Amino acid sequence: MSAAVSYFGIRHHGPGSARRLLEALEDLRPSEVLVEGPADLSDLLPLLASPSMQPPVALLAYPKDTPERAVFWPFAEFSPEYQAVCWAVRNGVPVRFIDLPVSWSVSGGETEDPVAAPEGESSADGVTSEDEPEDQQAEDDDQTLRRDPIGALAETAGYEDGESWWQDVIEENPAPGPVFEAVSDAMSALRERETDLPKREAAREAHMRLEISKSAKTVEGAIAVVCGAWHVPALKAKHTAKDDRALLKGAPKTRISATWAPWTAPRLAFGSGYGAGVAAPGWCLHLWQTRDDEKTTRWVARIARALRAQGQVVSTASLIETERLAVTLASVRQRPQPGYEELRDAAISCLCFGNALIWATISSELLIGSETGLIPDDVPMAPLLEDLQRQQKKARLKPEALEKELSLDLRSESGLFRSTLLHRLSVLKVPWGTPLDPGRSRGTFRERWMLRWEPEYAVELVENLVFGATIEQAASGRIRSELQSCHALGPLADLVYGAMTAQLNDAAAEGVNLLGERAGQTSDCSELLTSLPALADILRYGAAREIDTVQLGSLFERIATQASLALPYAVRGLDKDASEAMRSQIQSADGAVKLLEDRPDLLKTWQDALQSIVSEPQANRLLSGLAARLLYEADVMSPDEAVELLTRMLSPGTEVSDAAAFFAGFLEGAGQRLLYDEGLRGCVDGWLVSLEEEAFTEYLPLFRRVFSQMDKAERKRLMDALFDTVRSGGTHLIAAPDSETRWPRHLEILTGILAGENHG
Amino acid sequence: MSDTLRQPAEITYADEIEALKATDDQPKPEGWELSPQAVITYLMGGKAGGTEISAKYVGNRRLIETAVATLATDRALLLLGVPGTAKSWVSEHLAAAISGKSTRVIQCTAGTDENQVRYSWNYAQLLAHGPSREALVPTPLFRAMEDGKLCRLEELTRMGSDVQDTLITVLSEKMLPIPELNDAVFATRGFNVIATANDRDKGVNELSAALKRRFNVVVLPLPDDMDEEIAIVSKRVGEMARSLDLPAPKNVAEEVTRLLAIFRELRSGETVDGKTTLKKPSGNLSTAEAIAVTIGGLSHAAFFNNGKLTADSLAPNVLGAIVKDPVQDKIVLEEYLETVLKKRRDYADYYHSLTELV
Repeated sequence: MSAAVSYFGIRHHGPGSARRLLEALEDLRPSEVLVEGPADLSDLLPLLASPSMQPPVALLAYPKDTPERAVFWPFAEFSPEYQAVCWAVRNGVPVRFIDLPVSWSVSGGETEDPVAAPEGESSADGVTSEDEPEDQQAEDDDQTLRRDPIGALAETAGYEDGESWWQDVIEENPAPGPVFEAVSDAMSALRERETDLPKREAAREAHMRLEISKSAKTVEGAIAVVCGAWHVPALKAKHTAKDDRALLKGAPKTRISATWAPWTAPRLAFGSGYGAGVAAPGWCLHLWQTRDDEKTTRWVARIARALRAQGQVVSTASLIETERLAVTLASVRQRPQPGYEELRDAAISCLCFGNALIWATISSELLIGSETGLIPDDVPMAPLLEDLQRQQKKARLKPEALEKELSLDLRSESGLFRSTLLHRLSVLKVPWGTPLDPGRSRGTFRERWMLRWEPEYAVELVENLVFGATIEQAASGRIRSELQSCHALGPLADLVYGAMTAQLNDAAAEGVNLLGERAGQTSDCSELLTSLPALADILRYGAAREIDTVQLGSLFERIATQASLALPYAVRGLDKDASEAMRSQIQSADGAVKLLEDRPDLLKTWQDALQSIVSEPQANRLLSGLAARLLYEADVMSPDEAVELLTRMLSPGTEVSDAAAFFAGFLEGAGQRLLYDEGLRGCVDGWLVSLEEEAFTEYLPLFRRVFSQMDKAERKRLMDALFDTVRSGGTHLIAAPDSETRWPRHLEILTGILAGENHG
Repeated sequence: MSDTLRQPAEITYADEIEALKATDDQPKPEGWELSPQAVITYLMGGKAGGTEISAKYVGNRRLIETAVATLATDRALLLLGVPGTAKSWVSEHLAAAISGKSTRVIQCTAGTDENQVRYSWNYAQLLAHGPSREALVPTPLFRAMEDGKLCRLEELTRMGSDVQDTLITVLSEKMLPIPELNDAVFATRGFNVIATANDRDKGVNELSAALKRRFNVVVLPLPDDMDEEIAIVSKRVGEMARSLDLPAPKNVAEEVTRLLAIFRELRSGETVDGKTTLKKPSGNLSTAEAIAVTIGGLSHAAFFNNGKLTADSLAPNVLGAIVKDPVQDKIVLEEYLETVLKKRRDYADYYHSLTELV
């Protein structure tokens, strides 16, 4: 060996080790930098240091024919790997990856659910999820330990945050010594009693050893190996090249495409499912960007800024107290300096008045952040476009610039496939197809679309890469992120509907859960009402789309019950605009409840609620009019009751404005009732006649609205019915003007017919 | 055996404090009897040499750590929580462990005035000799400042806001002016204040912002664990029923379990299975209230229901505990009945009796 190899065991995405690594590289000035990462993607590395590349970004690799099995390697600004690559490029030092090629990662778990696979595999160092079923729990523990041994050590020591432990234990090591030596010692101790490694792990370490020794033979000068701390002892250990090669036998052959994709801070975090293994990217970024002696103060200041943005009053004096408390807490817990937990506890006590809920409102913004990465324009962003082409081919649809109408039958497999594709593209804001039937148009198995492709759609499509590598994943990712930022029930229900039509079942299920949560918290009746139509539509027509609607059904029942209970209270004390809005909401909710005929209990609850609006004297009269009509139309209120009610509501004791509102609620949009119902007509007539001229003129527009929806003949019949009170029994006929002259002739013919005469 | 009904903490647990003192080798803040670490051990339980230290507080260690650290920074500590969350208990034990004396207490009520917080005068002395330090009657707060010990303020928010604000100077400048004598008491090191307050109650006076930000606040939560709470309620109900001579039917434990399930669901705002979120009523539905409801039910059962404890005998009290606000809470309860209880067969009796009452 002609070169000295230095091993830097780092903590993936650890700002502490990133800082130490940079210092070490400056000291060492290596001639080559080797980084843990897929060896066949080394060509993409120099791009990472491009000035227009802005982390967080992820290296994305996928088999050419199945992009949904994509694997991601995320890099944040504070990732030691990222800093090492940047350092190497800045200093003109060759840098390359040394881990197993991508094909090992993407072809490992054939049995796995294809959607879950990339998530499991996206951990920072490309550790794939093991799919050996036996002893899953132990397997999980082992895997956590391998992926973040420092985090695991910190947890054992009672820390919640691995970075604070790194600070306290590794950096403030009472026996001073080189940091990376200490880490390596710790790992050797951890791995001492290790039994057999899983095959993949052994192969990875063998591959790295071979690559390192290859470099050591060719490179003059020092070599820096940057890898997860866990691997250091294994890489240092002596193995013969022959044994290592034996471990690499049977490498899978898959054609791989790779590129860079923009990443986001929430996706770096554990919670979002793509976990890069960073609990709090916001905190890590803060540690990386802030000087050591300022980090406590600046973090407290950031907490204060976030709280102030939420409308909390936070004084500067309280910030001082917070920092003092954090320092004291650290000493009570016998730690050398306040870490993440001390600062959190102190902030809750001093700034949030002990109320952890206030902390919860700012924690995700602080801890996770909202950074989105940028990648240079010249990076190929192919996967989504490739996927689109593949789907277009399968759907036999060509992107054409000319408008073309397309009619789909959702019962056929190809129709459903095409419809799903178009819906997913709409979710991604690529409006290749526009639905022709306005509004919610399903009651049928048909869908009509207008297709037109614009070149800029390609650009819009690839911008969605941040949400996923295939159209399905991206659409699902996009809906999920929209769901998270959506707080009102109505829009949430619409999003769930969108997810259902686009066949994104995971996103839809998540949406249904969110709906359930949100519905439990809201007490706003109109918010509950607005979510009902979309849900009813999914339930009624969901069958066309092979959607499981059991959970949704019970959710619908729950929201409708809640709305029914809240309704009698919500119709009081409304002004004109609010009552108009509420009217249309009640009307569409009524339609929604009636649409689901198989739930008689629910209909009963709903109608009880309407009934209580009618009998509630403080209810807004427009709405009680509407409720009365809905009940009357549903045959719950008998015609006699309706007449009695209308008479009472329009009687002289009632304020004219109240009476007019009730009249509007009852009859607007349903003027025809007056034609057929003599009782109703009688009391409306009586009321109108009793109005003073001034009041009559005032409500003239209202009367016009009620009657304008009847056509001319109907209006005429109404007039006749009103003014011709003497005639009875089917005599709604009026004599023609010239009847007197024509009658003798008609009589003659009739007599002839009756006499048996054959008349032409 | 003394005749005293209840001894203060520092006497009851004197041996534990002594044992901790003997083994305590950590640095102590000035005026403290024990080091902060030993105080935490005293409250959370553990071992000191050969002596077993019993746990005084069962719950989150972090909260106690924050509380002790607060007292060590010379900032005042405010323990907040609904009734029955061991606020006063924790405050008494903190004072006993830190100052060795837990009896410097001011019980704050609507009738507490400034004289009971700062100092008052011995009028005979005042008339005979004129204003002097001898004519002054010190309050527990006054004495605590002089001695460098902890002073406890119980139910801080129950006294009027204007009286509360007397504390501002004491807390920020550690000084109590006596304008009549052109003098002031300057607090000795070791002085601090532990206040307890109730944040969800009727008839309390909000702390002014100025005073509030002079406290570090620690909120003590209700018990996390259902079994623990059931045990607490059953034990207390048994004790109280005996002292009230109420016969306890066999099914008490079973009813307590069902009752607490309802209470805990409404209190936490979600069903036990975590699938459904619920609205919370304005009342706090504390453990203490569950005890009161059960006792009410027992009494009803004993006198009006032939000793049978049923949902019917409990329902009126349950209703009273949940519906504190006639409009808002009624909606909350109706919603809970219709969306949750209606579907549970084993709660059918509760559903029926409560629906009738609502």
